[in-house]
Amino acid sequence: MTVRAAADATLPAIEARNLGVRYNLRLTRKTTVRQTFSQALRRREGPTHFWALHDVDFQVDHGESLAVIGPNGAGKSTLLQVLAGIIEPSEGRVTMRGKVSSLLTLGAGFDPDLTGIDNILLAGAFMGIEDREMRRRLPDIVEFADIGPFIDAALKTYSSGMRARLGFSIATAVDPDVLLVDEVLATGDQSFREKSRQRIEELIAAAKGIVLVTHDMHWVTIFCNRAMLLEQGRVVADGDPAEVVALHQEHMEASRLAKEEEAAKHRLTGVL
Amino acid sequence: MTTTLDTPVASYGGGRPNALRLILSGLTDIWSRRRLTRYLVQADLSKHGADTILGNVWWILDPLLQMGVYVVFVTLLVGGRSDVANEDYPLFVFAAILPWKWFSSAINDSILSVVARERIIKQVHFPKIVLPVAATVSGIVNFAFGLIPLVVMILLFYRDRLAWTLVLIPLVAIVQFAFTLGLAILASAINVFFRDVGNVARHVLRLWFYLSPALYSAAQVSKVSANHPEVAVVFGLNPFSILFEAYRAVIYEGRPPSWAGLLVLLVLSLALLAVCTYVFKRLEPSFAKVL
Repeated sequence: MTVRAAADATLPAIEARNLGVRYNLRLTRKTTVRQTFSQALRRREGPTHFWALHDVDFQVDHGESLAVIGPNGAGKSTLLQVLAGIIEPSEGRVTMRGKVSSLLTLGAGFDPDLTGIDNILLAGAFMGIEDREMRRRLPDIVEFADIGPFIDAALKTYSSGMRARLGFSIATAVDPDVLLVDEVLATGDQSFREKSRQRIEELIAAAKGIVLVTHDMHWVTIFCNRAMLLEQGRVVADGDPAEVVALHQEHMEASRLAKEEEAAKHRLTGVL
Repeated sequence: MTTTLDTPVASYGGGRPNALRLILSGLTDIWSRRRLTRYLVQADLSKHGADTILGNVWWILDPLLQMGVYVVFVTLLVGGRSDVANEDYPLFVFAAILPWKWFSSAINDSILSVVARERIIKQVHFPKIVLPVAATVSGIVNFAFGLIPLVVMILLFYRDRLAWTLVLIPLVAIVQFAFTLGLAILASAINVFFRDVGNVARHVLRLWFYLSPALYSAAQVSKVSANHPEVAVVFGLNPFSILFEAYRAVIYEGRPPSWAGLLVLLVLSLALLAVCTYVFKRLEPSFAKVL
């Protein structure tokens, strides 16, 4: 649901209140009627759902750029999906003020049988960008992707590098107020990586609010003025990037040591 | 950028909108994203037959060949008894095969339309309802191409059946479209949760075709139903009894269809469309999680 209101720089660009996302484990992935029946017949064993995000509460003000870090499976990508409107929160509420653009995994929704140009227009239509606007940006997108005559060939003839370049070029051909970035940055060859890094920097400079999900701690300290650490769907820390990164690394180290200890114990019991 | 510019505010979560609002938002989605629908249809059509030698010629050949199969089959079966195989049987059958192909391909394509776009659904926020709509609309193009061999056939072999009523075909098609769209939207959503829908649909569609007056006429049904009243009930409830009779009236018999029947079907189809849109919109928020 989108309503229009006068822009107000005093209101936060992103507001998340008591956010919770619950996954129903019975419904995940390619169920058939038979499985549902057999599940219903079987006793309820184990958990039927889990919270990918729980009690997540934060806001991003104008001019802030927030890095979301955490171990695998902490709920970082789910958080981005909620902010982008892809997943409805099971609990709580999210309010996004401004034009939102998400640079999630590149090249999602490419159609292998269509040409590069047609894929650009299709992607624009999926993202809800006006067709006139998209055609106006077309030359820029094509130029930035820099894949030569392949732009008129079917996408299935592209190399994976070319695919990634086109994807990046489409995803960043926007001027959003709120930018959501998943770790997609290291693609293509050296020169394209340099170019794409520059483009991201430009976007970050222009956007009013940014949420960046990354495993690259380098990016956190360069681009963000705030960081949030997620663990098992909960916010563990929120504040100065350097401090939060340090805490994250501490936790990672601790869990690595714990794992090693566990493994050593197993080895010992194996010997004894 | 100045503060006087309008800023879109999007809010997610908190409360479930009521049924009427959901239906309306589904219908606005379809209308406001018609450009996306158009691109999806174009993509679908350019893909169709792109790797065959005859390409789009298949759109014309397919219904003709299917007609041939049924004509041979029925002629062998009944040995050309004129009370079973109607006069000018090829045209008689063709008038039903053409709309049926549109219906069955629209349903079959819609079932896969949402799950096939799994990746983009997880990456971009857009109204998923355009996917089954596009699948249904694509079928119109095939249907329109099928009208070419129909007219050629009439001009070459059935000159005496040529009538002005051919121009009424689009009116019948509108009713069929409304009916198909509702079912397509429903089937596409359910298939996200139960991948059995495709298998079920294959058999249901086949049975449905044989239970509809496609290879035989409604008059022949009423002969049978004199002894078996339940047959009359099945045919009375079948929308394709009305649709096939209407197509056949304007194509084969050269008279206007029974407007009352079509009107009733149209109203019921719009109600069905509203219900199916509601179900779709209710299930839509879970798509990205389940896929």
